[in-house]
Amino acid sequence: MSGPNEDNNTQLSSHIFGDLLDSIIVDVASECHRIAKLGLDRNLEEEEEEMRLSAQARARVADPSNSSETNTKYVVDIFGQTHPSVATEIFECMNCGRSIAAGRFAPHLEKCMGKGRKARLKVTRSSTAAQNRYLRGSPVSTYSPYSNSTSTNRLSNGTPSVAGEEYSNGTYEEPWNKT
Amino acid sequence: MCLRSSSYTSPKPCKHLADYKLRHAFDGYDSLQNCLKTTPIGRTRVDNHNTKIPRCNFCNGYLGRLYICLMCSSISCSTHILLHTQSKSGHDVAIDIERSELYCCLCCDQVYDPDFDKVVVSEQIKGSCPGRSNKRRRLDSGMELDLKKSKWLIAMRDGRAKSCYPLGLRGLNNLGNTCFMNSVLQALLHAPPLRNYFLSDHHNRDECKRRYGEKLCLLCEIGALVSAMFSGDRSPYSPAQFLYSWWQHSSNLASYEEQDAHEFFISVLDGIHEKESKVRNSSKDDGDCQCIAHRAFSGSLRSDVTCTICGFTSTTYDPCVDISLNLDTVNLSAAEKTGLSTLSGCLNLFTRAERLGSDSKLHCQNCQELRDTSKQLSISRLPLVLCLHIKRFEHSLIRKTSRKIDQYLQFPFALDMTPYLSSSIVRSRFGNRIFAFECENSDSSAEYEIFAVIAHSGMLESGHYVTYLHVNNHWYKCDDAWICEVDEGIVRASQCYMLFYVQKLLYYKANKDLSCNASVESR
Repeated sequence: MSGPNEDNNTQLSSHIFGDLLDSIIVDVASECHRIAKLGLDRNLEEEEEEMRLSAQARARVADPSNSSETNTKYVVDIFGQTHPSVATEIFECMNCGRSIAAGRFAPHLEKCMGKGRKARLKVTRSSTAAQNRYLRGSPVSTYSPYSNSTSTNRLSNGTPSVAGEEYSNGTYEEPWNKT
Repeated sequence: MCLRSSSYTSPKPCKHLADYKLRHAFDGYDSLQNCLKTTPIGRTRVDNHNTKIPRCNFCNGYLGRLYICLMCSSISCSTHILLHTQSKSGHDVAIDIERSELYCCLCCDQVYDPDFDKVVVSEQIKGSCPGRSNKRRRLDSGMELDLKKSKWLIAMRDGRAKSCYPLGLRGLNNLGNTCFMNSVLQALLHAPPLRNYFLSDHHNRDECKRRYGEKLCLLCEIGALVSAMFSGDRSPYSPAQFLYSWWQHSSNLASYEEQDAHEFFISVLDGIHEKESKVRNSSKDDGDCQCIAHRAFSGSLRSDVTCTICGFTSTTYDPCVDISLNLDTVNLSAAEKTGLSTLSGCLNLFTRAERLGSDSKLHCQNCQELRDTSKQLSISRLPLVLCLHIKRFEHSLIRKTSRKIDQYLQFPFALDMTPYLSSSIVRSRFGNRIFAFECENSDSSAEYEIFAVIAHSGMLESGHYVTYLHVNNHWYKCDDAWICEVDEGIVRASQCYMLFYVQKLLYYKANKDLSCNASVESR
C-alpha cells in the first residue's frame, strides 16, 4: 500500500515484461534468420510478383471503364462461330432411339433411364410404352408420358453442393476422397 | 525426372566456425549433448543441470540473450560476449542458451552447422516432444496497382482469319444443367498425362470391346471424347454418350439437376479406377494403382497425431487424388477479415498443427491414457497433376443452412509446394534444423504450373461453371459451347473453385508437343 513498494513492484513487473517481450522478439528474429540463411524462403520474390499481378488484375476487372466480360453466350467464339443459348444439335438417344435436341438431352435421358424422382413414380408407364413400341413395330411418334416443362431461358447451372463434411468447430474431417 | 536439390541450402560456414571445426571437430558438440534439454513446447535449450540461474561472467546479469562458450562453457551476455572472445584466444564460437543456436562472436552473427543441428535434432527426437509451429515470415507486398486505362477487353479475334488454334480446343454443348460436367471434362482432357495417354491410344477402344465386351467403359468414353476434341473439328461437341455412360456408372448422381463439379471429378476418377482394377483383377492400394487416374492424380498425405503431454507422435499415411482446402479467412471475425485470402494461406491452414478439442481426446500409447492431441497434415508424396478444391461453402449448424462463400482467393500461376511437403513440415517442427529426416523425398519436383481453373459464379443453389485453360501460353475460356481467348488477368481475377496444376517439367514438355499446325486423325 505504501508508495515506494508499489512503484518498485510496477517497475519490476514492467522490467520482467520487457525482458519477456525481448525474448519473444529474439525468438522470431532467430527463426527468421535461420529461414533466410538456409534459403527456405527463396520464393519470396516470385510470390510477391504473383500477388502484384493478381491485385493488378482485380483492379482492372473492378474498373467500370473496362468493358467487363460480356455474357459469352451471345458472342462469336474464337473459331468465328455463334451458338444458340440452348444447344440445338440433334442426335439419337442411345437408350430409346428417339431424336433429341442436345440442350434437352439430360432431362430426357433422366426420364428415359428411369432416374430422378419424377421418373421413378411413373416408371411402369414408360416401360409399358417401350414394350408396346416393340410389339407394334412402329415408332411411337408423339406419345410422351411427361410433358417437357423445362424452361428454355434458364442458364445452365451447376453448383458446389454440400459435400458432406461438417467443420463448424474448426476441426477437420478428412476432406480427401479415396477412389 | 531430374534430381531435385534439397529444399534448403547448407550455408557456408564463416572462417571462424570453419577453423573451430578443423581444430575441435565434434568435441564441443558432443560434450554439449548431455546439456541439451527439449521443453514440451519443442524448444531446445542448453541446461547445465545447475539449479542456479545462468548469469553473465562479466556483469552477473541474467536478462537478455546469454551465450555459452563452446570452448570453456563460460556464460556471457550479448553485451559482453565480445569481451570474452577477445580475452581468450580461440574462443570464437558460442551457443545461444535459450535457443540452441550457434553464434560466431567475431562475425557477431548467428551461424549454422549441419553437424550441430544433427546433435540438436537427435536430442529433440530422443526427448520426442512436439516442435513449434512454423512461423512463416510475411512481408507486406507492396502492391502497385496499375490503373492505366488501357483497352482490356476479351480478345475476340475473327476465327476465320486465324485457324491456327491449339488442338484440343473445342466447345462442349450443355445438355441441360451439365456445365458442371463440361467444366471438369475440359480440365481433365487437357491434363497432360491423361491427354497423352488417350492420344497415344493406350486404351484402344476396339480392343477393349473385343476383350471385355462390356458396353460400359468410362475409359472408352473418355477416349472417344479426346478423339473428338483433338479431331480438328471446331463445332461444339455433345458429350451425350459420355453422360449416358457416367449415369450408368454413378447412378446415385444420375439426375437432371444442378450438381457439384468436384463431386463429378471424383466420380469420374473413380470410374476410371474401377474399370482398371476390374481389368487387372487387382485390389492394389490406391497408392500403387497404375490406372491412369491414379498415375496422374494420386498423391499421399501424412497425418501426425501428437500427444500434447509426452510428445509421442503416431503417423499415418493416406492416399488422395486431390486436396480440399478451407478458405483461410473462414472462422475469423468480421474485423479480422481485412486481409486477402490466398492459396498459400489456405495451404498453410491445411498443414498447420491443430489442437484437437478436449472433447476428442485420443488414447496415447505412451501415456496409456486419453490425452489432448495435436494433429498436423503434410504431403508425403506429390502427384503429377495436383487438383486443389476450394471449399466455398459454409454450414451453419444453428440455422441449418448453407451458403456459398464468394470471397476472392488469390492464387499463383507458378506454385512451389515445397513448404507443404512432409519433409518441410517435419523439419519445421524441429526448428528447421539441417538434418536428413527420413521423409526426405528428393526424387520428384515440387514446382507446378497451372493449366486449368474451374471458376464458379452465382449462388449455392444456382450458378454457372466455366473453365479457363492455359494452352501454348494463351488463356482460353471454355464456357460450354463457347471458346474465347482471354487475358490472363481475367483468370487471375476469377472466383476459382478448382485449380489444376501440373509438375513444371511435364508442363513445358507438354507445351512443346502441342503444335497448332498438325492435325490428328481421329481414330
